[in-house]
Amino acid sequence: MNKNKKIYYFLPVLSLLVFLIIWTILANKDGSMLPTPLATLTRFFEIMQKPISKSTLPLHIWASLKRVLIAFSIAVISGISLGIGLGWNKKFNAFAGPIFEILRPIPPIAWIPLVILWFGIGETSKIVIVFIGAFIPIVLNTFSGIRAIDPLLINAGKVLGANKRQLLTDIALPTTIPAILAGIKTALSSGWMCVVAAEMIVAKQGVGFLIVRGQESGDTALIVVCMLAIGIVSAILSTILTKMEGVLCPWKFSKTK
Amino acid sequence: MEVLKDKIIIRNLSKTFYLKDKTAEVLKNINIDVKENEFLVLLGPGQCGKTVLLNILADLDKQTEGKVEFTDGRPKMGDLGIVFQKYALFPWKTVMGNVEMNQKLKGTNKETRQKSAQEYIDLVGLQGFEKALPQQLSGGMKQRVGIARAYASESDIMLMDEPFGALDAQTRYSMEDEILKIWEKKKRTVIFVTNNVEEAIYLGDRIILLGGSPTSVKNEYVPDMARPRNYTDTPFLKLRNEIIANMDLAL
Repeated sequence: MNKNKKIYYFLPVLSLLVFLIIWTILANKDGSMLPTPLATLTRFFEIMQKPISKSTLPLHIWASLKRVLIAFSIAVISGISLGIGLGWNKKFNAFAGPIFEILRPIPPIAWIPLVILWFGIGETSKIVIVFIGAFIPIVLNTFSGIRAIDPLLINAGKVLGANKRQLLTDIALPTTIPAILAGIKTALSSGWMCVVAAEMIVAKQGVGFLIVRGQESGDTALIVVCMLAIGIVSAILSTILTKMEGVLCPWKFSKTK
Repeated sequence: MEVLKDKIIIRNLSKTFYLKDKTAEVLKNINIDVKENEFLVLLGPGQCGKTVLLNILADLDKQTEGKVEFTDGRPKMGDLGIVFQKYALFPWKTVMGNVEMNQKLKGTNKETRQKSAQEYIDLVGLQGFEKALPQQLSGGMKQRVGIARAYASESDIMLMDEPFGALDAQTRYSMEDEILKIWEKKKRTVIFVTNNVEEAIYLGDRIILLGGSPTSVKNEYVPDMARPRNYTDTPFLKLRNEIIANMDLAL
């Protein structure tokens, strides 16, 4: 029993080791454009102290994160509202549904040129791009969550005397929370991807900007540091949201039976 | 026997569903008088439209023809107790939250409604489980919550749509005793739908046998036996065979 458990601590460590070994071999090949793990680590400590474009790495991460959080908050509020509208109101769905269906499959990145022309190269355009990336999954999940409500629960609500507003606020919305949270999770990672893309095109701060700076100056270690930072931040965000799910809807995510 | 007051009068009730390319006649010419405080069982095979009939009584659906008259006036939405076959409990609410829902929607203040809900939780024997979520309860306990929630509407009419249909046999027997006990304690007019002959005879003051296609009332039986009834008594078995001989087989 104990032996079996140990292997689950050992396996992730093993995979990390294999990963580092392959990385080192590839990086040491002649003419390799890949920095070694050690060079990457050194570069990491360097950029923690020596700023690029007036900011150290945490400040760049924070600049990106701030854009994501602002856009994400707007997307949560407006996305949930639109999703409820589309899912709950047949007439509104008939009205707004087709437009949304056409706009939905457009990758958020495809909006970048137009958004820059509209909003310039300042903060606004980056926030708008992230907003587009985060907005769509939230709308879609809220919408399908509302659509997936068991009609039996709606009937139970009616029988218990819920009026139209109460059916939405007291019955439909609580049922939909897990679906909305799933949308929020997707939205946050999608928004994080969009901010990097937007910053790579035009920015003076942020991890996307740092990556491009690394490319321009042939600083491959800097590129890899940023890529890892992006991955780690994203993992932390998703862990926080998973924890939130357990708190917000214990009936769906708690381990009791 | 005393003459009981009519509580619900169903006259010439028919229901036809109009689908895209065809019409489906489900109920035809149903006539039933429901007496005050009786335990009326509607017995019929699966898929025969029993739920449609209950939905019409509950105002969740409209009849195509005929009428339903409540002698004390049609109860408003929220003033009729319904127990659903698949419990239909709100998974995000605790036992207390589910039972107090009706009064909460009506705007009763928290203290009053929880006190009243507690009374019904005690009535169905779930004291100690107030804070449990439905997913933590067994099927029988879930349906106890369903019953308490329906009773908490303070309605004098209770509609029960195959409430024990999803339970295993043992739990079913004990729930049948339980529902009679509750009914003796708090008399209400109960309309209990089932497809199980034994359950119908065990519970009912009167049994209305539904059948045919479209469904109509085939016969009426009055089990003339004192409660608690015994599944193996001769009159019980005799009535059972009589009903089964008249029952449609649901395939």
